[in-house]
Amino acid sequence: MAAASTSAVDPAKKMIMLTTSDNIDIKVEREVAERSILIKNLLEDLGSEGDEPIPIPNVNEAVMKKVLEWCEQHRKDPPATQDDDSDSRKKSTDIDEWDQKFMQVDQEMLFEIILAANYLDIKALLDVGCKTVANMIKGKSPDEIRKTFNIQNDFTPEEEDQIRRENEWAEDR
Amino acid sequence: MATPLTSNGTEPFGSTSYLPAFRPNPSMSASFKLDEGYSEDTRSQSGSDTIMRTDSRMGDGIDPDAQFPLPEWVLNMNEGDRSEFAYAILRSLRTSSIAAIVERLNPLLHLDPVLYLPPEITYQIFSYLEPETLLRASTLSKMWRSRTLDSPLWKLLFGLEGWTSNARQVKLFEEAEKARKAEMKERKTRARAAEDMDYEQQSHKKRIRERPLFGDGGTVESGIHDRLQPLTLDGSQEGPKAWAEQHSVVEADDVQSSSSEDRMQGIAFDAPALGQIATSTQIQDRLKRDKLFDSNAIEDNMASPNSPASLDPPIQPSLILPSVGDPKLNWQYLYKQKRRLEENWNAGRFVNFQLPHPNHQEEAHTECVYTIQYSGKYLVSGSRDKSVRIWNLDTQRLVLPPLVGHAASVLCLQFDERPEQDIVITGGSDCHVLLWRFSTGELFKKLEKAHSESVLNLRFDDKYLVTCSKDKTIKVWNRTELWPTDEAYPTSTSSGARFPQYIINMQHQVESQHLNYKMLKEYSLIMTLDGHGAAVNAIQILDGQIVSASGDRSVKVWDVHTGACLKTLSGHTKGIACVQFDGRRIVSGSSDETVRIFDRATGAEVACLQGHTNLVRTVQAQFGDQPGNEEDLEAEARAIDRKFFEAREMGTISTELTREQRRARNAGSRDPKDIFAYGAKLPPGGGGSRWGRIVSGSYDETVIIWKRDASGRWVPSKTLLQNEAVRAAGGRPRRPVTQAHAHTNHLNATNQNQQQQQVVAQPVSTPSATPTPPPPQTAGAPPNFQALAQQAQAQAQQTQQLAQQVQTLHAASQPANHATNTTIVTVNVATTSHHNQTPAAPTPIPAPQPTQAQAQTQAQGPTPQHQHPQQGPTPAAAMAAPHHHHHPPHHHHHPIAPLATQGNFSRVFKLQFDARRIICCSQDPTIVGWDFANGDKDIILASQFFGKAE
Repeated sequence: MAAASTSAVDPAKKMIMLTTSDNIDIKVEREVAERSILIKNLLEDLGSEGDEPIPIPNVNEAVMKKVLEWCEQHRKDPPATQDDDSDSRKKSTDIDEWDQKFMQVDQEMLFEIILAANYLDIKALLDVGCKTVANMIKGKSPDEIRKTFNIQNDFTPEEEDQIRRENEWAEDR
Repeated sequence: MATPLTSNGTEPFGSTSYLPAFRPNPSMSASFKLDEGYSEDTRSQSGSDTIMRTDSRMGDGIDPDAQFPLPEWVLNMNEGDRSEFAYAILRSLRTSSIAAIVERLNPLLHLDPVLYLPPEITYQIFSYLEPETLLRASTLSKMWRSRTLDSPLWKLLFGLEGWTSNARQVKLFEEAEKARKAEMKERKTRARAAEDMDYEQQSHKKRIRERPLFGDGGTVESGIHDRLQPLTLDGSQEGPKAWAEQHSVVEADDVQSSSSEDRMQGIAFDAPALGQIATSTQIQDRLKRDKLFDSNAIEDNMASPNSPASLDPPIQPSLILPSVGDPKLNWQYLYKQKRRLEENWNAGRFVNFQLPHPNHQEEAHTECVYTIQYSGKYLVSGSRDKSVRIWNLDTQRLVLPPLVGHAASVLCLQFDERPEQDIVITGGSDCHVLLWRFSTGELFKKLEKAHSESVLNLRFDDKYLVTCSKDKTIKVWNRTELWPTDEAYPTSTSSGARFPQYIINMQHQVESQHLNYKMLKEYSLIMTLDGHGAAVNAIQILDGQIVSASGDRSVKVWDVHTGACLKTLSGHTKGIACVQFDGRRIVSGSSDETVRIFDRATGAEVACLQGHTNLVRTVQAQFGDQPGNEEDLEAEARAIDRKFFEAREMGTISTELTREQRRARNAGSRDPKDIFAYGAKLPPGGGGSRWGRIVSGSYDETVIIWKRDASGRWVPSKTLLQNEAVRAAGGRPRRPVTQAHAHTNHLNATNQNQQQQQVVAQPVSTPSATPTPPPPQTAGAPPNFQALAQQAQAQAQQTQQLAQQVQTLHAASQPANHATNTTIVTVNVATTSHHNQTPAAPTPIPAPQPTQAQAQTQAQGPTPQHQHPQQGPTPAAAMAAPHHHHHPPHHHHHPIAPLATQGNFSRVFKLQFDARRIICCSQDPTIVGWDFANGDKDIILASQFFGKAE
């Protein structure tokens, strides 16, 4: 009975197991996990049925769950194309509503998600994360940005002044 | 920063005891051996293990007593329990204590991304920011500065602006620099092997030395002026530094030495123990300044006692990255100079120059110049004097003696100086097409009687040469040997185009016949395209499509493989003189005095630029497309269409255009009321970036630079006058600059005065060489009548030639009342000058026959100006003797109003612009240019890497 139902299951819906850096096993549908190109390639290379847990040594449980939440939401997105590489990247930092909400986390989690997306090779998530950080910088004064990110100003006032003067070329349109 | 904190901790979590609550560090619960396992080094590694970093942020904002060691049992709790426990402890405190803790913890919630994230990720974050924002971010901290001024990032931004670079030049330059560096290294090794090592070793050595010397990055009192290399993403040897922020800048006493003002980046060390160490920045800065690849100079520089700036990267970006690896261009520098250059364009800041060099007037064409083309360094011109001349734009001198071979005016040309091409192709009134070697000037092939009438334009790419003629046809020639099976061979002969007998219809061929195929020699006629009802004035070829513009008021698009006419575009109300095609838009200039932009895909007219007061003879457009903006443009076009239809539905605009509205056209406005065509793939105005620019030249003697205003409408941004440019360049215009035009001159008064005097002092040259208007009646001494007569003759002939050309343009469109019989020319050539409109002869005039004047010109040879010993006096000399020669026939500074103001002395025939310059040729034998680098050394240096406008 078990065998019959397993074979009937859509391979995309098949559950696989991921082991996070803190040794937690997470069960997830293969299609969802395959938003990560790293996992997708691993599964293909292993050629296994996905019965073996896949170790993800660089992502802990909390971040992994968050990442998988995103993957679940975006499971039906078309795969990223290879050609929309950095050079043709649009300047737009528009983020759709769901992703915006998703990214409303503390800064540490935000950076962890970005690092995890980079490691797991989930381009779209990495893009959303980077855009989120970019939006935190946009339209702010230097002091506001320093406050946002707790940045220590290590310039002398003279250096700051020199830099400001050097940057004047970009001020007027 | 993190290191010192953990090094003294005996407990595994000694220094980070409070942090796990905030930081779900993945490796922490997996393994409790972290305090040994991490170091700055992990940060240098990109990719998979970046998550194994520690938080240098913890070094800041945590007081020493935060290192209160936690008991083992607390550490053994899991995160949730620990969190609950901490909360319980906090709840036991008084509110003020809680507030104080919150205050202390608050910075921990705000993390510095440049410390937390590796460079490749901050690169992506920053790639979403505007340059202005990035520069603002560069003031945040030293680490932010080095990340935001990263060269690859600015290379990306450069491309995103829609700017193009000259990849070939970049490659050549970097290779040359590398070779030079290697040579220098070898030289130095040989010379002073014992005490002096090559730069890479030095830098390495220096880095090692820093640790004990500078410790954790505090200031040092040693008086060492030091500068470290900024990090680069691609320099693997720089890896560790990318993360080691204490390395980014070593605090050195920033001695304000006087020499730092002239940006001497030499280096000196008060501490002799360190020996002579120069970073490549300083060397390259020096090289950048004097462009001397002389290693002696560099060594001198190294020894010079100058204080370098202390910041890294240096305050002012340099052309070459101060990297120890292979020399690489600094794209932040290029970006900056490009922006400064654009500022000059917008503000109208330029310097004029001319060909010939004012001190070498003898190199000038002797009659008007119909065509030019230039690349970065060379310009090739073709003239009514039948010669083709190759100029070096840097020296303003001829590279070769004039290329002589045409039997009549040279009307069109194209060249490619790259060694693999090495070719100039010219066409003329003699109906011939001539092929020359660019490097030697050798005439190596002649397509005799390529057309039955004047060859008006030609273009070539790698495969084809396309010519068009007054005989109303377009012809296609193969540039390389061609087999019927080659891709470039016509694929069909049933399109309506005319094919020579020897072209086989490949559609009807079967395999077995291959044996009988004959190879087509290079420059064979492949096909003749008929269809235009009048002379074909201009032609373009791009990606297998030919675009032609004709006196019949239409533009046609043809398939070069089949000869089929794919599209006919109409809109102009008179003959079309010039056309440009960039794959998406067709830009054309017409006798109807407008420039129009058509969408290639749909044929819709997306803009009509009105501003010239006479025939638009030459146009070039650069829309500045950002990479991959096709879809955006189409989406924009759709959105504007929608608004248009909505507005129509609401009845806010009339469905019927009044005659007035129809005449007004649209120069690119998005207002539904202004919409003229819909369904186009391009928005009104043609799309592109804010850097887009169109430059047009007209028979109204002006060059107009068009820019888009806030509403998207193309408007004249600057109007330039050919004759003013000649004078400002130190030459003598064919006719004086009238006061009426003075307001458009951007030169300051002093400069103008100087120029004026220079003009005064400059002796007049032989009239036949530079035909000029007759002297005014007020002339005191009797003019040289013979010269005058000659001059008139030349003028007449020229007018005739012109009329002939114009006739071509106007044949199908010009109303008869504009026609003036230009063959009747008296000594006062003003008869042809009355008309604002182009004088057009009522009947075609046969090809120019050598007249007396012309014969004389030739007899005199190219050196008539040598008769004047005072050619091109220096301004100083001119100032000293302002009234020298102040007698007729020095009529140039006398206003010849009112006729001259609308005379035909500076009609613009052809112009071209690139990132830096506009160069145009006209009725005046002097070719003039506007250089928007405006003498700025940095802009000039950077400009060689900017792409051609296309």
